[in-house]
Amino acid sequence: MMQILIINELNKVLKRKRTYISFLLIGILIPFIVGAISNGGTTLEKSIYGQLSDSFFFIGSLLNGYLATYIIIAVLINHMPFLSTIIASDIFSGEYSRSTFRMYLTRPISRTKVLFSKVIVVLAYTSILMGFFFLYSLIISMLWLGTGELAVFHKGILLLSGDEVIQRFALAFLISNYVMLTISLLCLLISAISKNSVTPIIITISIVFVGTAITYIPIELFKLINPYLFTGYINSFLRAFHDPIPWSHMASLLITCTAWSTLFIFLALFFFNKKDITD
Amino acid sequence: MSSSTLVKIEKVSKCFGKARVLNNVSFEIPKGSVLGILGPNGSGKSTLMRIIAGLIKTWDGSIYFDGKPIAEESMYLHRVGFLIEDPAFYEHLTAAENLIMLSRLTNSSLDNIESLLKEVDLNGAEDKLVRNFSYGMKQRLGIAQAILNDPDILFLDEPSNGLDPHGIVQMNNTIVDLNKKGKTICLSTHVVEHVKDLCSHIIILKEGNLVLDDSIENLFENSNKYEIKSKSIEAIKDKLSQVEDLTIVEETDKKLTIDSELDLSDLLKTFSEINDLYSINKKLDIQDLFS
Repeated sequence: MMQILIINELNKVLKRKRTYISFLLIGILIPFIVGAISNGGTTLEKSIYGQLSDSFFFIGSLLNGYLATYIIIAVLINHMPFLSTIIASDIFSGEYSRSTFRMYLTRPISRTKVLFSKVIVVLAYTSILMGFFFLYSLIISMLWLGTGELAVFHKGILLLSGDEVIQRFALAFLISNYVMLTISLLCLLISAISKNSVTPIIITISIVFVGTAITYIPIELFKLINPYLFTGYINSFLRAFHDPIPWSHMASLLITCTAWSTLFIFLALFFFNKKDITD
Repeated sequence: MSSSTLVKIEKVSKCFGKARVLNNVSFEIPKGSVLGILGPNGSGKSTLMRIIAGLIKTWDGSIYFDGKPIAEESMYLHRVGFLIEDPAFYEHLTAAENLIMLSRLTNSSLDNIESLLKEVDLNGAEDKLVRNFSYGMKQRLGIAQAILNDPDILFLDEPSNGLDPHGIVQMNNTIVDLNKKGKTICLSTHVVEHVKDLCSHIIILKEGNLVLDDSIENLFENSNKYEIKSKSIEAIKDKLSQVEDLTIVEETDKKLTIDSELDLSDLLKTFSEINDLYSINKKLDIQDLFS
């Protein structure tokens, strides 16, 4: 039955235009950013080298497809919750508002299974979108600007060899995707409660904003609670390019996001199983 | 519960906050019957339907399907079809895609979708997006999804709501046909005219309370109203003035409606000398049952 429910959910999601909006936006935006990086290469390099150019003599250019991808991800990652929650926001509330549950839930199916089929589709959508974001950025950047070593700032300039860079990007994807999955599940939880598809996005983004503020405001209390908030890990993908990779931070990310995700799923299950379909 | 009972509702109550929407409602749905749930808007008809459909999760009382309590298992939903209020489909999908999706949930055959659409007069519309359907088409598709799994009983909540007169006739014909094919039907409505033609049993809900539960046959038998048709209404009235405990309820040029405890044979004797008497029939005025 679970397989059937997942097929049905995929059917509902894949045949809607809004499912592809995020892909379309990323598809249009990335080439523009890569183009801009390519055109403003000299300025960008100057800002990367900074005062180092007074002491060192640089031959060639650090600007390549890898650096462009790194910059694109760093710039856009905080906006990805807007795009990754498009499906999650509507997955329950859309059914409430269009009254389709009146027909769907009068079949011999368990609500728990319906919820898990929706959770699987939301997780798959978020992962595919994040995968597309990383892969598309990398491919477009590499095609436009070529490859080479990736220069990142960590305790000075760290140069990662071309062989290592792809593995680092893969790790960065896994990290940022895991955080984004938690954000999507938060949105799914709100969707399971709300009858309006816009409310879940607004509440989710507001929570992400507040969480990000807590990360960056240097107050002792915030520093204390930040490791326990999933929002504190949105930019953790940057650490995938550190040397050595801070695995303890990754473990803490894994534990925190898993705990929040589990909580969101169980709360959604509790509310959905108790909900009276009255519309 | 008798062996001819398919569904038994026992002391079902439901509150939304402080508002009591259903209050100890009990009745039975006999196999093969067409039971009409009558009541004004807000009387609890839809809430009752939603409870039976499993859409409302918390309620008091018991509901039995074929002798087994429905609260213990959802498998009874394999044998039940529902059309709850307005038809609500995935409008970005076609009619066939909607039905295929639902048929997977009951392991129903995908082969009969075409014939099913034909049965509800939607042949040729299977590949059209539901968003392009008229209201009447959606309502008929609603019937199609309700009978998709070949259920023993159909619960239809206000099936004629929003339909034009032609659509109402079509819907009534579909209901009669389904009943002839052996389906038990339970329909809720606030339009009393539909009930006399379609239903074998009726219950009336008023502010969440069950105020009547009877067969149409019994109600008809116990009715005190007669409809008299004649060219000589004045002569009829003269005769009636000599009869005690009789009230004229309605009067036109050729028709009188009277309220009397006399039986039909006594009334016929009263009019034996009148040649222009066309007909005298017992009349069931369900509207009266509301008051």
